[in-house]
Amino acid sequence: MIKIAIYGKGGIGKSTISGNLSAEFAARGLRVMQIGCDPKADSTALLHHGSRIPTVLQLEREKGNKIALEDIVTVSESGVICVEAGGPVPGVGCAGRGIINALETLKKLGAYEKYQPDIVLYDVLGDVVCGGFSMPMRKGYADRVFVVTSGEKMARYAAANICMAVQNFQGRGYASLGGLILNCRNVPDEQKLTEELAADFDTKIIGMIERSQEIQQADAEGCPFIVKYPQCPAAQQMRALADAMLRECEA
Amino acid sequence: MKQTAKIIPCYAADTSGVCSALYELGGMIAVHDASGVNSTYATHDEPRWETVQSMIYVSGLTELDAILGNDEKFIADVTAAAKDQKPAFIAVCGSPMPMMIGVDFDAVAAEIEQRSDIRTFALHTNGMHSYSEGASEALLTVAREYIQPPANKIPDGVNILGALPLDFGNPAEIPAIRAWLKENGFSVISCLAAGDSLEMIAKAGNAAVNLVVSYSGLAAAAYLYEAFGIPYVCGVPFGGAFSQKLADSLRHAAETGQPESPCTFRGTSGRKIAVIGENLIAGSAAAQLGLMGYEAHLICPLPHADKLLMQGDSDAASEEEIEQYLAQMQPDAVIADPLYRFILPKDTKHIGLPHYAFSGRCFERQMQNLTGTNFEAWLRSAQ
Repeated sequence: MIKIAIYGKGGIGKSTISGNLSAEFAARGLRVMQIGCDPKADSTALLHHGSRIPTVLQLEREKGNKIALEDIVTVSESGVICVEAGGPVPGVGCAGRGIINALETLKKLGAYEKYQPDIVLYDVLGDVVCGGFSMPMRKGYADRVFVVTSGEKMARYAAANICMAVQNFQGRGYASLGGLILNCRNVPDEQKLTEELAADFDTKIIGMIERSQEIQQADAEGCPFIVKYPQCPAAQQMRALADAMLRECEA
Repeated sequence: MKQTAKIIPCYAADTSGVCSALYELGGMIAVHDASGVNSTYATHDEPRWETVQSMIYVSGLTELDAILGNDEKFIADVTAAAKDQKPAFIAVCGSPMPMMIGVDFDAVAAEIEQRSDIRTFALHTNGMHSYSEGASEALLTVAREYIQPPANKIPDGVNILGALPLDFGNPAEIPAIRAWLKENGFSVISCLAAGDSLEMIAKAGNAAVNLVVSYSGLAAAAYLYEAFGIPYVCGVPFGGAFSQKLADSLRHAAETGQPESPCTFRGTSGRKIAVIGENLIAGSAAAQLGLMGYEAHLICPLPHADKLLMQGDSDAASEEEIEQYLAQMQPDAVIADPLYRFILPKDTKHIGLPHYAFSGRCFERQMQNLTGTNFEAWLRSAQ
């Protein structure tokens, strides 16, 4: 079982990349589980025509300890096993604790044993701002962390923080860094700046997705661009990224 | 309002269950919690605190250490204390604050073990669950870590699993269960976990059968059944008739190698009695009452095994649900901790049976030893 966590600054395109990767892996005949770790609970929306699915925390609140695996799992048309952790509404509660609770619930209910996915993909909110957001990189969850960034300063700053967290936790047997995913925003020297960042953490750019109209159009229509526009350059780059990630995880 | 109790208290929490289960095993228990709460785990919820020494420590977690995620202080302090005290093992466990900040206790335990060279394991408490769950994980961990595969099977050998003073508050009761086993031709190899050392418990794999006396011992029993094929029997020897039934079950299980649960026996006619309490303990009382000609049902507000809850029993966990169940059942009498008296239907007879995990030391002098025919004598005097 390949277990991947996708991290990156808020709004950098993690869910778009995660949804497209899941669709691509599923199209290759792999059994994919995508777990959204974001209180917004929109990680898997692209796989459901833009609709949101019920979240683990919402269902836990409704059903208490009578919650069953079937309640929290929604299988997409493309066959991706989708789960959304969910979390509090903005301004209250603790989103990090929500992720811990949701992932522990999945484990307790035997999600990995029952569905036996070939690939588990954790799509994690923003920066590693507290213990909860490091949960997907802990032992027993993801084995490899991929960080989505652009050449923009704040995206690189957040990416550096995430890479630092991964390095800090190496002694604990947590996930290791698989590489950076450059989601281009067309800023000057974008590739060079991202390569410098990768070098700082002894890693590499594992794939690059150029900015394109097709990505935005497919997003607006609630569909992965790799499905909607399979021949566009971004779709080809996405397939190359999927290849590279699989190679990295199998290495 | 299901999680709110207006009148009755809640049961002791999972952390207390861990401390109780490991109290006599010579290990160090380090609870990651604010300073001052050790008295809850080690004295208020622990009747042995005056007579038996144990290494139960609290980390003294501060607000700033919690905010900054300063695991290092906890790791360094536990390592230093362990090097000084030289415990047989170290168990680290949590409370609500570490739960909220997401402390990774498995990783913390691995670091402490690496630095101290003493076997260290994490127990995943957070103060939000009952003592039964904490004790269950602790006893299962002890079974997995220390019980050796059978070397010399003892045909009449038996282990007692799940014996905690939190459930058996009368100090005479656990020794009485041991004595009852001997009277019935069994030799007690170990008792998990009261009265025996880790060395004794290591030999538990040689038993022919296990006697599970509370939910806390069930996970360890299931593990020993799976790992070493030792069958288990669920029940506590309350009353003459049920004790006999339990002893027969133990002999039968030792022969067949299959688990048995005589504590699920229920009477179907006679005066109605509700017994509120722990799954196997109150369940055994209900079974004995059934054998005495009562229609007795169990109300178990604590974690339970579905197979040990019978038709007519209830898993009502909240004050409101218990009140509703009793209003519907209309029992002639309710056997329960004295603090339940205040939520019983008007004119329903209450027979007090103090439970340490519920009312602590409030009714310490009235804690009963119901082993064997003591049960009938107590019931007669209580009625």
